[in-house]
Amino acid sequence: MSETSGWKALPIGLEMGPLELVLDNNTVKQRVELVQWENHEPVDKLGVTPPGITIANHALMKFTAWPDLRASIWAKSEHEFLKPMKVGSRIYIRGKIIDKYVKRNRNYVVAEYETVNEDGEVLMRSRETAVYVE
Amino acid sequence: MEKITKSLKVGEKIPSLTKTAYMPIDPNARNVIHTDEYARDFGMRGALIGGSTLLSYVLEMLYNYFGQDWFYHGKINVSLVGGGAINGDIVTAHGVVKAIEKEVDSTRLKLDVYLENQMQGKIVVGEASCSIT
Repeated sequence: MSETSGWKALPIGLEMGPLELVLDNNTVKQRVELVQWENHEPVDKLGVTPPGITIANHALMKFTAWPDLRASIWAKSEHEFLKPMKVGSRIYIRGKIIDKYVKRNRNYVVAEYETVNEDGEVLMRSRETAVYVE
Repeated sequence: MEKITKSLKVGEKIPSLTKTAYMPIDPNARNVIHTDEYARDFGMRGALIGGSTLLSYVLEMLYNYFGQDWFYHGKINVSLVGGGAINGDIVTAHGVVKAIEKEVDSTRLKLDVYLENQMQGKIVVGEASCSIT
């Protein structure tokens, strides 16, 4: 890869998204089944999604924004949960590269994500570090 | 839902949660680490299960313990170690109380959390905390 593409060209501060998601019943059900979430209380009694079921979308945002990315291998992740996500609601995820570094010959990218609802209330904050393979 | 009691002590374990790790394998996956061929070339046993799926196993254990407080006050910080998980691995999420800290109107419980496979190898390690109102 040249200096103008791939990991070397990724600028700190590069923004991703916003990704708009509608947390309709089908979307929530599919994700709940995929991760084998067995506790029915959040969806059936409280009308909210299990915590963290939108986190998989952060990787999708990277693949959309970075065409040279072939593999993203999760290394670390931090998440702060601030408000539940209501089933049927619309949310928006915004991401930003905040750091990148090389360790043991592997290229790492650190990105932050903020998930908000339609009223702009922050529901979740995340910081994720992944190996970037091009 | 587990009732969190005032008698909780540092070193105490919260109820664990076991799953058979699974993720549909798509040979055309955009993230090639989720394909058998690439993952094996990368030195893994097979297509890696997504980190967000493994994290969900830990989060369900935490939600089962903290209940709705987790939605408002939950924090988790974890790393993937030991080669991750592939389909069919039996993985168990664990949490051990490491600190109990008084806050203004609540108590924050800090836990060491980890996910281990059927060989007792840790694949996710880190810490989580939640304020109990």
